[in-house]
Amino acid sequence: MAKVVLTSLTAKDFSQTDINNTVTKSLDLLGHSFGSNIKDIVIKPNLCYYWDYSTGETTDPRVIAPIIDYMRNRLGRDIDISIVEADASAMKTKYCFKALGYDKLSEIKGVNLVNLSEGNIIDVNVEVAGAKFTLPINEIMLRANLRINVPKLRTHNTVGMTCALKNIFGAIAKPRKYAYHSNLPQAIVGANKAIRSDICIVDGIVAKGSVPRKLGTIIASDDPLANDYVAAKIMRFNPKRVQYLNLATKEKIGNTDKINLVEDNITLAEIRAKFPHYNYQWHRLSWKLQLKILRAYAYIVGDVIPPVLEK
Amino acid sequence: MGKLHLMNALRIDGVNVVAGADRNEGNRLFAQNHRVKTYGDYASLLDKEKIDAAIISLPTHLKKEAVVLASESGLDVFLDKPLAGNATDAEEIVQKIRKEKTRLTVGVNYRFFDSVQKIRNSMESGKLGDVVLATSELIMNGPFSHPLVPTPVADWWLSKEMAGGGALLDLGYHVVDLFNWMFGDLQVAYSNLGWRFNLPVEDSAIIVLESKKTSVKCVASVGWFMKMIFPAFNFRINLNGTAGSESTDRYAPSDLRVHAAKEAVSNLLRRIAMRKVHYLSYTYYYASFHSILESFFDMIKKDVDNPISIEQQLQVMRIIDECYKQGGG
Repeated sequence: MAKVVLTSLTAKDFSQTDINNTVTKSLDLLGHSFGSNIKDIVIKPNLCYYWDYSTGETTDPRVIAPIIDYMRNRLGRDIDISIVEADASAMKTKYCFKALGYDKLSEIKGVNLVNLSEGNIIDVNVEVAGAKFTLPINEIMLRANLRINVPKLRTHNTVGMTCALKNIFGAIAKPRKYAYHSNLPQAIVGANKAIRSDICIVDGIVAKGSVPRKLGTIIASDDPLANDYVAAKIMRFNPKRVQYLNLATKEKIGNTDKINLVEDNITLAEIRAKFPHYNYQWHRLSWKLQLKILRAYAYIVGDVIPPVLEK
Repeated sequence: MGKLHLMNALRIDGVNVVAGADRNEGNRLFAQNHRVKTYGDYASLLDKEKIDAAIISLPTHLKKEAVVLASESGLDVFLDKPLAGNATDAEEIVQKIRKEKTRLTVGVNYRFFDSVQKIRNSMESGKLGDVVLATSELIMNGPFSHPLVPTPVADWWLSKEMAGGGALLDLGYHVVDLFNWMFGDLQVAYSNLGWRFNLPVEDSAIIVLESKKTSVKCVASVGWFMKMIFPAFNFRINLNGTAGSESTDRYAPSDLRVHAAKEAVSNLLRRIAMRKVHYLSYTYYYASFHSILESFFDMIKKDVDNPISIEQQLQVMRIIDECYKQGGG
């Protein structure tokens, strides 16, 4: 049975001590059964762009710090820990690590920072709903004994929501991941077939829906699909109507038949009530409509469309 | 920006866009789709085409060479701000322009915002009395913009050597130019640069300038740290005088989407009535790029004074250099 743990920070100032205590408690409550031979650990935050963690867009490095400490305490000081991220269509990891505080974290904690778009890239073949994909994946992701997925709790313009499964899509080595956008649900599921997440720790300290909101929530799970089912409910999505979650269920990426939901010091309903609701369908429709009107206007009047809005 | 200038130039009366040069194949294709002949480098273009003026939109470290070559070819030049990466390069550019007796217009488009022109007019009319304190904020995402199709921030933006600086040179240039244009004779009283993002260039700056001529104090805050998606825009100037105050916020559209709808309808009516369309006015921000380019071409067509004094631009570069010295950049 998949387990999902919901915990909340207790102090309003979200201090590092409070974050440490909450993340540690989440991991304790999750009670993951660690294998005996764990030497290489990868931690994958969501650093999709250069936006600061306070915007709710990227993983707060303060959540990564207690995960590193926890793993060292449980598995020994000599384990090799790498924080990993791949370049994206609009983001270069080398700047992202610097700008978002990961350089400093790596220095303080003595962990590696790895750009998944560089080094030994292996083509992994996966099949999703009958369609075959070849995904370039960095060897370090395939070789690791333990993969810790640290996504954000936030909405997404293209697929509605992003959490653990979508974060693994970001680990594909190819920088121009925009190329997968026409088949995004399949590509997300394909990436999760190629890369299994062992533990998910969701950074919901600042979550993002229609606006960023300080939720102070940490979600822990040992099943990325069950994790995303719960995250979807928090963000007011029907998980069965999120295309990639549906596909992931069919492809048996995780188990959602029975979820053991542990509500520690906060309930799902309480988090859901605080989450800033975002009407994803309306947003998409409204953007498409606005762009169509703009193009029609520019065509009739002969006006210019700024390059920022041009495809 | 080069694409935007091309689209604007194609819509300015009396301007014939002869050719464009760009190393980037996608950008050349963009120009070709607008029936503009293209070259892979500007030297070949200058060699083969007969032209009167050049619009130069290049990363800061590549500007000097391009301006020098265009000027030696006897061309008037429109150049995106900043004039250069530092005051020394700026001096060399200006000397070259003077020597070749060509004209250089720097693209300080913020002067062309309706709201900026209105508060300047208020000040000049005497309505505010003597302006004692002027403040300005220009805080946005800088190069970290997220267009419809995502593209990475070019490396040169985040290199001190290539870009010359960060938020201060990029956004501060506009604010310093506006204060210098309004009050003149500015000196740096205080400068503090910020590096929240630990990048090689600063992502915020607070500067205080004093005008020797008018004793006005100008406080400017600029930053690249804010997540902002078009059409959002976070810029204002406040003028506080002995008889009253003015702010660009008073004249800027409060709702940019409503503004866009109104302007679009007005332009449709103008088109129907065969009157001149106010290009890009629906965007508020980008209309100023069209206006300044139109002024540049008016200068050439009507042989009038440069709308943007090159001496003032050199002063702006000297002030910014001094801000970097005092702020530790």
